[in-house]
Parts: sequence; structure tokens; C-alpha cells
Amino acid sequence: MTFPLSRRSFLLSSTAALAAGALGTIPTLAQAANLRLIFWGGQARADRTYGVVDLFTAENPDISIDGEFLGWADYWPKVATQTAGGNQPDIIQMDYRYIGEYARRGSLAPLDAFVGNGLDVSSFDEDQLRNGTIDGKLIGVSLGVAAGATVFNTKVLSDAGVDIDPMRWTYDDLLTLGPKVSESTGGAMAMAPDGSGIELLFENWLRQKGKALYADGQPAFAPEDVTEWFELWTELRNAKAIISPDEQAIDTGQLETAPLVRGKSAMNFTTSNQLVAYQTLVPDELGIAIFPATAPDSKGGHYRNSSQYFALSSASASPEAAIKFINFFVNTPEAATVLGVERGVPASSTMRDAVTPSLDERSQMVVKYIADLGEIAGDVPPTPPASAGEIEVALKTKSQEVAFGAQSPADAGPAFYDQVIETLGRSN
Amino acid sequence: MSIQNVASAPPSAEAEKVSGWRRIWQQDAPGYLFLLPWFIGFFGLTLGPMISSLYLSFNHFDLLTAPRWAGLDNYVRMFTNDPKFSASMRVTLFFVVFSVPLKLAFALGVALLLNRGMKGLTVYRSLFYLPSLLGASVAIAILWRQIFAGDGLVNKFLSIFGIVGPSWISNPNYSLWTLIVLSIWQFGSPMIIFLAGLRQIPQDMYEAASLDGASKWRQFWKITLPLLTPVVFFNAIIQTIEAFKSFTPAFIISGGTGNPINSTLFYTLYLYQEAFGFFRMGYASALAWVLLALVAFFTAFSFLTSKYWVHYDD
Amino acid sequence: MTDAPMKLTVVGVETPKLRKQLISVVSHALLIGASILMLYPLLWMLAASFRPENEIFTSTSLLPSEWSIDAYFRGWNGLRTSFSVFFTNSFIISILSVIGNVFACSLAAFAFSRLEFRGRKLWFALMLMTLMLPYQVTLIPQYVLFRQLGWVDTFLPLVVPKFLAADAFFIFLMVQFFRGIPKELDEAAMMDGAGPWRIYWKIMLPLSTPVLATAAIFTFIWTWDDFFGPLIYLNKMSDYTVMLGLRTFTDSTGTSDYGGLFAMSVLSIVPIFLFFLIFQRLLIEGIATTGMKR
Repeated sequence: MTFPLSRRSFLLSSTAALAAGALGTIPTLAQAANLRLIFWGGQARADRTYGVVDLFTAENPDISIDGEFLGWADYWPKVATQTAGGNQPDIIQMDYRYIGEYARRGSLAPLDAFVGNGLDVSSFDEDQLRNGTIDGKLIGVSLGVAAGATVFNTKVLSDAGVDIDPMRWTYDDLLTLGPKVSESTGGAMAMAPDGSGIELLFENWLRQKGKALYADGQPAFAPEDVTEWFELWTELRNAKAIISPDEQAIDTGQLETAPLVRGKSAMNFTTSNQLVAYQTLVPDELGIAIFPATAPDSKGGHYRNSSQYFALSSASASPEAAIKFINFFVNTPEAATVLGVERGVPASSTMRDAVTPSLDERSQMVVKYIADLGEIAGDVPPTPPASAGEIEVALKTKSQEVAFGAQSPADAGPAFYDQVIETLGRSN
Repeated sequence: MSIQNVASAPPSAEAEKVSGWRRIWQQDAPGYLFLLPWFIGFFGLTLGPMISSLYLSFNHFDLLTAPRWAGLDNYVRMFTNDPKFSASMRVTLFFVVFSVPLKLAFALGVALLLNRGMKGLTVYRSLFYLPSLLGASVAIAILWRQIFAGDGLVNKFLSIFGIVGPSWISNPNYSLWTLIVLSIWQFGSPMIIFLAGLRQIPQDMYEAASLDGASKWRQFWKITLPLLTPVVFFNAIIQTIEAFKSFTPAFIISGGTGNPINSTLFYTLYLYQEAFGFFRMGYASALAWVLLALVAFFTAFSFLTSKYWVHYDD
Repeated sequence: MTDAPMKLTVVGVETPKLRKQLISVVSHALLIGASILMLYPLLWMLAASFRPENEIFTSTSLLPSEWSIDAYFRGWNGLRTSFSVFFTNSFIISILSVIGNVFACSLAAFAFSRLEFRGRKLWFALMLMTLMLPYQVTLIPQYVLFRQLGWVDTFLPLVVPKFLAADAFFIFLMVQFFRGIPKELDEAAMMDGAGPWRIYWKIMLPLSTPVLATAAIFTFIWTWDDFFGPLIYLNKMSDYTVMLGLRTFTDSTGTSDYGGLFAMSVLSIVPIFLFFLIFQRLLIEGIATTGMKR
């Protein structure tokens, strides 16, 4: 009953946006605007973000910005409600999963018209631009480069006499060296968590085999690949190289539930931008490595993802002002210095160079890791299809069924594959 | 509604209509006037969104674009082709069947104990209510892990007897039980309602019974329990509805996943995932109305049977 | 079981006294034991608020290795807006909700339990139905509605429904208790010429202190603890409630101040606990009045 009205107001404002886009040559002085900005994150991120907001509004007194930040779990229902209710903020922080969902449904405005016309992306890495492009249109401006990474407890590994080559270590290393960690800690810790349910790790392994998660909206792997994947982890589990299913299931995705933080494993499979956050919760010094390779010189598994994006609401009444802020955020050295690498390494090479000298040791490690990935990394995959988020959840559940022995890897492979096909084919 | 009809009808000289009007004014109007705030809220704020969600349950609605008519698709899928629906229904029914009676028994037992007029009553009552104050605090999830994880408090206690326990909270065989324990731990609300009910029982009835030589046990069965039945009835209905709708404990403890292996995938948690995680508000609405039908059926049945065991004074 | 032989062996006037003492000791022992079980998690939380940050998730001991009240200062001003603002907002919303709920729900409950009118059963059934639909699916239509009223970003969506008896739980609760109040009292008052309003105001409300106190306690606590309503309807941090502030402490994807979270969690319980302590007296006062009037 109330939806037609909100749809009409949505249409009205997008016409306004179009009109404004067409008149892109309006002098910047005429831009008095009040913008709303929403992002997820903790207090550290908020302090840095608002620091940049203050710099920006000092330079542009005719633009004011109301910021709002929430934890990850609360963020998405709120953004969905605001969007559905016709009250979307102008600038919305997005992640690689949700940006496709929102963009394909017309809630986010294409930015192509602003490129070179308010938005400067000339110093951006090419893969960062491609990450933010959905169906041929630039939607998201990358706020940071991140890549899959193994974060490890240096003290536990060296106490166990385990030495890994951070950029070349393999699943075989995990299998042969893993038991040492469990021995040296009297069984209290394992070398690694159970990664069989982590989609990013599964994708990495597939890519090393020359496959991928999705291509053209369909799975780009076979049921046998899934079976092989679960068998690999079953072998690691039986060798006590990884933690037990009970312990793994405590990890619900929140940082404080990670086995590394709870002192159950010497590692965690995560993304590079998380290193600093993990370090605040672990007393021992942490190091950073690649996801295990299938062979020492295997390439193409990793890719430089974008940890998050800023996107423009297609209902924004002041798209020009919003773009001006986004541009300021990613392209001014003052802003880059305030932001550091809290959201990931800057996507612009100019900003990266500007910010690196002032970083602390842990952040320097992250910058170096991204740089060292070099040719280990492959191309960025296409934006995942709609419903990909549901499949990520399904993999976690399926991995638990295998780990707890409810299903064999041989059965779980085809079962998971069928689930993927069914989910992708389902209408919302 | 009859008030409005009446108000718009011009007063007539015809005797019959006057008397009808007077009858309405004397009999019906006071009820409707007392209900006026509720009517404004019901028609102004509650009913519209409810009807919207019913309408959406017959649509595909992804939150961001206009709903598309789906007929009975959502309902058909639910009952023919959705293993997660049946899994979440099983989890929820299990939770309702075990948590509600245990929580009520616990709440009633403690309320009776606390109603004895002993010393320190206020202190105990407050202490027992404390866990219920925490509500949906993020801290609860962390607390529960401290207690029920593999190296948690429960297993430390068991190890005294040489028992090596599993990680209760993350083992699919036991994880739901940790949520049932959590629900019982927060028994404060029904306890307070029982206490208020016990307070309302006139003391002179016990005095009279004592004079007649009735034992405490007999007094409980003949006075306390019958007079408390309206409150027992209320608590049973409310706790059951709440248990069917239970969302927050599973949400905070499983981080919104319902894992391990969907063993804590409560019905509303699944509904929430569908609505806000997977952009299927139409399907979520259909789930919600099926739940409503189930709970309404249960409630109607309870009301029908209530005349045989609930004793009102009126 | 143990009572029976004692009755046989101990003779004379001492029996009831001794038994009473024994029961009292056993009851207290039971209650103290239960209290400790109930309270352990809370004590752990209290300890966590005084602990060094990196010890919170690794230590299961109840006593911190070092004590520090830093987390309280850090937490109080940890977010961009001080917790004093959040506490003020929570107080305003919770107090208004108590007033609204107690008044509006008792009016409706009086109608349902004491007045005869056509459609009563139908309306009562519909009211109960509002209790059964999960809020997750009415959230967005309701948001659209409140936005059209211009109420988003104010306290109105959180408070106005309480004045319109939108929470059927309390109506149902009060109906059950009102029905327990002897009807002869109304009839006597009616004989004296009292109308429904006077019966409600002069007889029902004064005799219902226990249930009104219960409603006040629950409304205050539940409103205080609610985060979803404030999360959806409040945008400015200067409007945030305590619970919303607490949730903002933790972001599962990044750095969180857990010490601050626990410290503020402890403080957030204090007002609701005090409210409970004050209002539970009314639960007790109820006896005298109801008992005597009978």
C-alpha cells in the first residue's frame, strides 16, 4: 500500500539526479548541500572518517555532512530499511557482496559520468576500478585494497619449531608441520583453523587449480572439486593439523570468536586489512602470509580485492557534492594521512606513496604484503551473482556437516553443487 | 466502528431509533471510548503494516525494487521444497516444547519460595531478576561461550569427576540446549508475574483455611493454584508465543548464522536471514504468516480449553 | 522425606519451631546456591570490565591479573558522543514509555475485562494477533509509514505507540489481573451511581498496584534494553540510546573496545536495576490493599 508512493519519490529524485548529471558544468559554488554518510566500522574507523569529514567541510563550508556508523551486523538491516523506505543516505559504504545486490536493483548511481568530471580515478589501480564496476558501470569507489591472507602467531610457531615461508607455504606444509604445533602445546592448540567452510579460501584453492567460483553467473567448478576440497580438509583434520569441528564451530564470524584470538590455533584465514584488528586482541606478535599454496610456486589464487567502497545513492539530491566528498576522501594526501590503512591500502598509487612513510610497523607489513603479492595474484573475478551471499552461508553449513561426520566428502560434493544451482536459479 | 456509524447518523425523532441510540450509548460506547487509544494505534499504526506484509507474502519482493505478484509461490515452496524451513520449524518446536514448561516451572517454583515472607526476600528477588535485565546485550554471547565452550566453566566442573565434555555451545547435538538453558536462566519476567499473582490472593482465605485445619499442601491445591490459574494461563500463552518468535538469543550466540549445521536456526532467525540477508522479503512475509497461523491456532485452542481449568472471579 | 521421622521423634511445643528453623536454613542455602549460579556470569562481566583488554577472551579466571578502571573512562567518552547523552535519551524514552503503557493499556484492559460491548471478543482476538506476527516483516511498511508522518529521526516512533497501547502483552496481562478483582466492588459502586470512568479510576487502578507495578517495571526494562527500534529510527548519534551506544562499540569486522563495552554494559544495568528495586515495593504493597478489601 505504501510502496507506490516511495517508488514515485524514488523516481522523482532519480530524475533530479539525471538532470544534475546533465548539467555537470554548473560552477562548484552553487553546491550548498547537506549530505548524509553511512558506514560500518568501529570507533577507530569512525574517528578517522570524521577526521576527513572535518577537513572537507572546513574547505567546503557550503556543504555539511551528517555521518552515521554502525557495527557490521546492524548496518545491513538499517541500510535495507532506509533504502526500501525511500530514505537512503547520499553516500553509502558498500562491500563487494552487497554492492552488486544494490547496484543491479538500481539503488546505486553509476559514476561514469563523473569520472574526469569531479571524480579523479587516474591514479587508481586498474583492478580496483574493475572491482567497483558492475555490469559495465562504475558503481563503487574502492576505499582500500585487501587480499586474502593468513595471519599467524609468530611466537607459537617458533616455539613449536615450525618455520614457514610466508609467500610460498603450502597445504603440504600444513599437513606435515601441523602436528608439531599440537604436540608442543600439549594438544591445546592446532596450527590452523578448519578452513573448509571459508568461501574465500575455497575460491583461492579453485583458482590455483585454474577454476573459479563463478563465471557468467554459473558455478565454474565441478561437484568433484568440492569433494576433493572436503577430502583435503578431512585429511588435515585426521592428522590434527587443524582444530576440531567443535572448536571451529565457535567461530561465528566475529573477531573475538576466531580460534586465533581464543588461543586455539596459531593462524587464521582472513583478509590482509584485518591484521591490525587481530593484533589488538592477541598478546603475541602476529605475522602475515599467503593462503596455503597447492604447490610452492602456484600462482593465480589470490587477487587484490577492495575491502570496501563508497557508493552514491541513486536517490541523492546532491550527487555533485557527494562526488566532491568521495573524491576528496580518496585523492587528497591530507585525507590519506588521516585514514592510514585502516580500511585497507589506498587504491590510488599516489595516495599509497603519500601515506606509507607515516604508517606504524604492523600497517607497513600490510602494505608490503599487498606489494609482494605481485605476480602471485591473478585477475579479479567478476562481481558475484545475486544470491552468492546465500551460497557462502551454505558452504559453511555444508563444511560443518562433513566435519561433524554427518555427510561424507563424496556425498557432500554433489549435494553442495546441487544447492548452488538451485540457489542461483531461484527468484527473489 | 459502530460509534462512527452512529455519530454520522442524524438523530431521529422516531422512538425506536432513539432507544437504539441510547442503548448503544449506554452499552457499547463506554467500551469503545476506553478502547479509543488502542483503536487509534491499531488502525493508524499496526494494521496497515500487517496488511502490507500479508500482501507481500503473495509477492516476490527484494526490498529495493517494486514487488512482483507471485500468487501462492512462496507458500508452495515452503511446504514442498525448502529443507531450511522444515529444519527451522523442528528447531523452534523443540525449543518451545522444552524451554516453555521448564522456564514456567522454574519461575513458579521460585515465586512460591519467595512468597513465603522470609527474611531477605527483596534481595533474592532482585538477584534472581538480574539475568533478565541483560536482555539482548552483546555481552551475553561472550558470557555463554565462557560457560559452554570446550574449555568453559561447565567442562572445568565436569573434569573434577574425570568427565571430558564436548564444546556444548558449538556441538550440533547440544547447542540448542545451551539456548534452552539461557532461556530458563532469564526466567525473571514470568517469576515477577507469578509473584504479582500470588500477591493478589487475599490472605484471609488462607487464614480461614488454616482455621479449618487444612494443610499447607491442601491450601496450595485448593486456594493458591486455582486462584493463580489466570496468571498461569497468561504466562503459558505469552511464553509460548515468545518462544515461537524467539530470535535474539540465537542471533547473538550464533552470530546470526543458526549454525552449527542449522542446529540453532530458529524460525525467525531463518526469516530474518531471508528478509535482510538474501533480499527475499516476500518469502519472509509468507514465513511470518505461517508462523502467525500456527501460533494463532495454538492460542485459540488454549482459550477454548481454558474454561475447563482457568478460574476467574467474574 | 526427612520431615516425617522428625515429627515422630521430637515431641512437644518445640516441633513447629524447630521445623520452621530447619526449613528456613534449607531454603536460604538453596537460594544462596541458586543466586551464585545466577550471578556468576554477571560477576565475570564485572571482572572483564576491570581486566586488561587482551586477557578478556583468553582468561577464564574470575579475578583479573591487574585491576584497572580505565575501561570506564575510556568507554564513557569512547564514542564521539558521551554516554551521558545516551543515558539521558534512554531515560526520556523509557519514562515516557512507562507512562504511556500503564495508562493506555490499563484503559484497554478495563474495557476488555469489565465492559460489555459488541465486538469485544473480535477486538480481543485481533489484539492478540498483533502479538504473533514477527516484527521483522512489518518493519519496512512501518518505517515507510513513520517516514510519511515525518517521525523518522525523532523519538516519536519509539514513544507514541506506547500511548496508543500498541503492546498487546500489557493489555492481556492487565486483563488477567483485572478479572481477578471481585466484581461485587464494581456492582456496589454502580449502585451508588458511579460510571465506568469512576470505577476504573477509583476501584480498578488502586486495587491493581501489583500488576501496574509489574507493567511499569517491564516497560522500563524492555524499552531500555531494546536496540532494534532505536537502531532503525534514530540516525543522529546525539539521539542514540544506551543500548545502541553499546552495540556501536563492537564491529565484528574490525577493532573493538571490549573493555569499554563491558564497563558500559555494567553501567547500563544500574538504572534498570534501581528502577526494579524501587518499583518492586509496590508489588508488596499490593497485598495489604487487596487483602483487606475482600
